[in-house]
Amino acid sequence: MEPITWTGFWIVFIVCALTMLACRVLPLFLLKGRKLPERVTEALGFIPPAAFAALVANDLLTPGMFDAGFWPAGAPLVAALIVVVVARFTKSLLLSAIAGVAAYALLVMI
Amino acid sequence: MLGYVAIGIPCGILSASIGMNALQVFMMCALFYSGAGQFMIPNMWLAGAPIASIILSVSFVNTRQMLYSAAFAPWFESASKKLAFWFSATVTDESFGVNMQQFEQGGWTPHRATFVNLFSQTSWTVSCVVGVFVGNAIGIPLAIAAFAMTSIFICLLVTQELTAANIVAAVCAMIGVFACKLVGLSGPAIFIGAIVGVACAILFSRVRERA
Repeated sequence: MEPITWTGFWIVFIVCALTMLACRVLPLFLLKGRKLPERVTEALGFIPPAAFAALVANDLLTPGMFDAGFWPAGAPLVAALIVVVVARFTKSLLLSAIAGVAAYALLVMI
Repeated sequence: MLGYVAIGIPCGILSASIGMNALQVFMMCALFYSGAGQFMIPNMWLAGAPIASIILSVSFVNTRQMLYSAAFAPWFESASKKLAFWFSATVTDESFGVNMQQFEQGGWTPHRATFVNLFSQTSWTVSCVVGVFVGNAIGIPLAIAAFAMTSIFICLLVTQELTAANIVAAVCAMIGVFACKLVGLSGPAIFIGAIVGVACAILFSRVRERA
């Protein structure tokens, strides 16, 4: 992996900060107390589950992942299942991260 | 508050792992200020995603802030423009929950709400910057650090409301990502996958309305 350059950093930082600011500030000023249309609210509500699922899938699933045998790709999947259980019970980001890293490290060693 | 410290330090460590320095992390916290976003950037960079897909995916995930901003609008009708700006520019998932609860109970003011936001942001910024120094001091194997991010995304995913439409969104997004990788589009896979998920969920809820 190449470290990120200052140029790369500036591009990501400026664009993300600006779109973020617009998403945060504009609705409050433009709506002036009115509600967002129901369809828009509904669609925006689907973004977090879709986006987080996409991020998880991107980390865990690759075509041909079992070509090198079951375990290299299976270990993170099993660790992920453990995180699912911990997250459902504790709803804690911190405990999920700790459980995930511990499970992953142990399973890779097996 | 403790949650910010506990998640901020790993966020700083991971940002340092892709070569970001303390100043860059500080700027991210001060002006971008997004937990999920600040984890996504190192995550996608490690996965070798091009800058354009990082920007698209991060910005797409951040559109959820529009919902929060819209929800607060009624309480800021009579607040000054300056206060409304500072408040809305510093809303996050966590402080949204706290402030919304207080506003609904009554007796909560825009000033206090803004104070909560700025206090949260300060804790986040300090923890992330500390994380950069920790990350530079101790070398953490990349695969393990990356799995901490995966775990955080899993937690964010499974703590969503488990409605049928949300499950459709999540499953279709995963299939979308896999399909993108299958045809060699691994760079924009997250963005395309997420769009596919949202589109399927909208379609699903329309069909269900008719039925």
